[in-house]
Amino acid sequence: MRILLVGAGQVGVTIVDALHDEHELTVVDVDTGRLSALSNRYDVATVLGNGASRRILQEAGLLESDLLIACTSRDEINLITAIFSRNLAPDTRTIVRTTNEEYLEVWRERQLDVDFMVSSELETANAVARIVGLPAARQTDVFADGQVQIVEFDVEAQRGTDEIVGVELREARVPLESKVAGIIRSDRMIIPRGDQMLQVGDRVVVIGSPQAAREWGELLSPATRRLDDVVIFGAGRTGVAITRALIDQEVRVRMIEPDRERAQVAANEFPTVRVYNATGFDPEFLDRERIGQSRAGVFCMRNDPKNHYAATLAKLHGVEFTIAVVHDAVSIDVFERAGIDVAINPRQVTAEEIVRFAHDPRTRQVAMLEGDRFEILDITVRPESEYVNQPFRTMPIRGALIGAIVRDERAIFPRGDDVLLPGDRVIVFTESSSATRVERAL
Amino acid sequence: MTTLSRARLRRLFRRETIGVDLAATFDLVGALLLYLSPAYLFPTAVALLYGESAWPFVIAGVTTAAAGVFLQIVATGRELASPREGFLVVALTWVLVPVFGAIPFVIAGEGVLAQPINAYFESVSGFTATGATVLNDFDELSRSLGMWRQFTQWLGGMGIVVLAVAILPQLRVGGRQLLQSELPGPTDLERLTVSIREVARRLWLLYLALTLTLIGLLWLYGQLGLDEHMDLFDAAAHAFTTVSLGGFSTEGNSIAAFGALVQWTIALFVVIAGVNFLRLYRLFVQRQPRAVTRDDEFRVYLLVLLAGSLVLLAELLTEGIYGVADAVRHAVFQAVSIMSTAGFATTDYTAWGPLATITILGLMFVGASAGSTGGSIKVVRHVLIGRLLRRELEQTVHPEVVSPIRLNRQVVEERTLQAVLAFVLIYVGLFAVGSLAIVVDSFRTDVGVSPFEAMGAAAATLGNVGPGFGFAGPFGSYESFSGFSKTVMIALMWMGRVEIIPIIVLFTRNYWRA
Repeated sequence: MRILLVGAGQVGVTIVDALHDEHELTVVDVDTGRLSALSNRYDVATVLGNGASRRILQEAGLLESDLLIACTSRDEINLITAIFSRNLAPDTRTIVRTTNEEYLEVWRERQLDVDFMVSSELETANAVARIVGLPAARQTDVFADGQVQIVEFDVEAQRGTDEIVGVELREARVPLESKVAGIIRSDRMIIPRGDQMLQVGDRVVVIGSPQAAREWGELLSPATRRLDDVVIFGAGRTGVAITRALIDQEVRVRMIEPDRERAQVAANEFPTVRVYNATGFDPEFLDRERIGQSRAGVFCMRNDPKNHYAATLAKLHGVEFTIAVVHDAVSIDVFERAGIDVAINPRQVTAEEIVRFAHDPRTRQVAMLEGDRFEILDITVRPESEYVNQPFRTMPIRGALIGAIVRDERAIFPRGDDVLLPGDRVIVFTESSSATRVERAL
Repeated sequence: MTTLSRARLRRLFRRETIGVDLAATFDLVGALLLYLSPAYLFPTAVALLYGESAWPFVIAGVTTAAAGVFLQIVATGRELASPREGFLVVALTWVLVPVFGAIPFVIAGEGVLAQPINAYFESVSGFTATGATVLNDFDELSRSLGMWRQFTQWLGGMGIVVLAVAILPQLRVGGRQLLQSELPGPTDLERLTVSIREVARRLWLLYLALTLTLIGLLWLYGQLGLDEHMDLFDAAAHAFTTVSLGGFSTEGNSIAAFGALVQWTIALFVVIAGVNFLRLYRLFVQRQPRAVTRDDEFRVYLLVLLAGSLVLLAELLTEGIYGVADAVRHAVFQAVSIMSTAGFATTDYTAWGPLATITILGLMFVGASAGSTGGSIKVVRHVLIGRLLRRELEQTVHPEVVSPIRLNRQVVEERTLQAVLAFVLIYVGLFAVGSLAIVVDSFRTDVGVSPFEAMGAAAATLGNVGPGFGFAGPFGSYESFSGFSKTVMIALMWMGRVEIIPIIVLFTRNYWRA
């Protein structure tokens, strides 16, 4: 596939890294330094110029491209690039990166003629919200606009888990609207049947509704309390997006923002949030406002070292769980080594989101578990597939499991007598080695 | 004339250039006067109907029109564009209009109103919808003159300038500032999505509709024999002063002249007229009940009305002056009438005990809603100051907390809050100065006024309430005050009506500087 990429910043580089092997890439950017750095590392064509120019787009080979990815840091440039692309080459699919949630809303209402739109802030906020909602999870991902959640848990020896651990699955108290998609036991994947049971030391992959996923968290880890009181350092766009996502989950949020004006804007938007106009580096302030009583801290100031320092200070003051939003790719390792519980890189999250879409138009989304050993696919079922019109009870199991069906934009968690219809989207859990076979079969 | 005043002012301000366009100001005031003159047709018609002399109104009408034309000829200004002139126009209008409104009283020469100071006091009290009267013998008053008193309150209630903005073509520019200067309370005109002319038009339409409804209702009571005293004259006279929250009556004993049904009806309309008219418009015309029910100010308004009524009721029941039904009626009516700054009375509350008296004085400082026809501080300002205090307390514990103050979920700008604080401070200051002036002057001229009664008179005039305490009570008269005291009260009514700030700024040097 020929892909035209506009913007060679961090997001662009991450996308190039993921796609350069299988696809033919052309990268457009206004900065020579970035382009030469890119072409030194990867085998990609580069064009110097403004992506929001029709001449440059044509020069870069837009008419021959199958996909255009506009991922500069400026929303309007990305949108104009996509509009030009739609006019010049109507068959080329377009992906736009945005930082503005309003554009995203407009796109969802199908008022923007763009095939796919990704917002760094929103993806980051959702990632943080997922972690805050399910602190016991090893890894988690959502499909179908958040209606379906995939979670990987460690099964640990904990008190109060005997209703689910060591019980045959057909007897166990599995939450409604959820399915055990796979059990990973000593590096082997088991597709579970009714007579399987979870054992201590297993890892279990669950597909279900967000509510069911939370119930799983409580079942497997009754001792881990929900992070229902969060303090957010930094009220920039990311901080505001995170706050909005957390309020939706009914989490009590406090914000700390050193900039007077930004603190004011945040306070104006969130009547229920206590916003402090303070640096967050002042131990006396942290003490006086009992910041340590928050169960989790999210650090999303603009500067990685500041986030690092503030997170460490907050830990000292008693914040148990720290999540940092980092900007430099290197920082993730630094942060996690230094004892920050989770580090999230918004640019990487965005790039991953774009790569997923770029993979296969029929496959809406791909998620990886355990590095890249397992994949979760979101596939639209072909009408001629052998699985169509079969009840789940009689479906042969060939190393894959259908965890959920998305029909008319609504998620269904199938039981034995549900039937797969042509045009359904299915969320499938499988080993990466069989992913291509599964895609073909459906 | 303009060159003259320019020269004088220039000397006053040591050769600094004047930054106010006086020509444009006088031009506009002239236009306002000219357009006011047809209002005299109404009392003229009443006079002819009752076979009374119509000359006082004809002369006054012609004089007003002539003055208007004269001002316009002398001062041909550009179109009013700057908000600065707006303050001066509003201030001047509210001085001059009552002057011309007083002409019929002087010409007719009936009783105390024949004296110019009394006539001007009565006229100011009328146009500012205050309701303080110098009359002590209502039987002497002719029908037409009585109706003119009522009618001045109706004209002034919603505002002469508001009316002008609604109909005058030359006010298309600068109308917003004018409206903001005259419309009671800090109504946020910025957020309105309709033109300023449309706002003014809506206000007057609703005002007219409410008035006609009440006239019809009261007249119907009379026709059906539900109230033997009520006829069309009384119905119109009292509807004018109810909807405008003025409080003048053609009867010496105010609303006590009528039965309980009329009293309850008037109380209901007083409560309605005390609500923000822009919100009432959305309720009645645009069928958005939430515009009123979800309004923070409206809720507090009702709450304070209820609380005031209950306190008065408790006091009346312990004193045992009235039976339970009468006590309820008097307590509710008086709380409603005083707080909304109407100033009607169903009974002489000066005979009540100390708790009730203090409650009534307190209610004079509450006022109705912003954007209503009432005066005084206004409920919304109290709400905002309450929230400001709450934030102050919060910030003593959490100094770094940023907590914006909201009204109806919208963030209120700090600038607005400062203006509210400044207004209340100046209001209280004026009240104190006014009380002091009245009590000192009364002592000097040997009029028997206690300090409390002086405070009552200052609060009742500054808040455009009307009746005070002592001899200035609801069934009494302000006639006994000295000329100086009356002048002080005229100034208080004037400033209270335009909400002080447009007048106070005229006394600052920065206002006049270029």
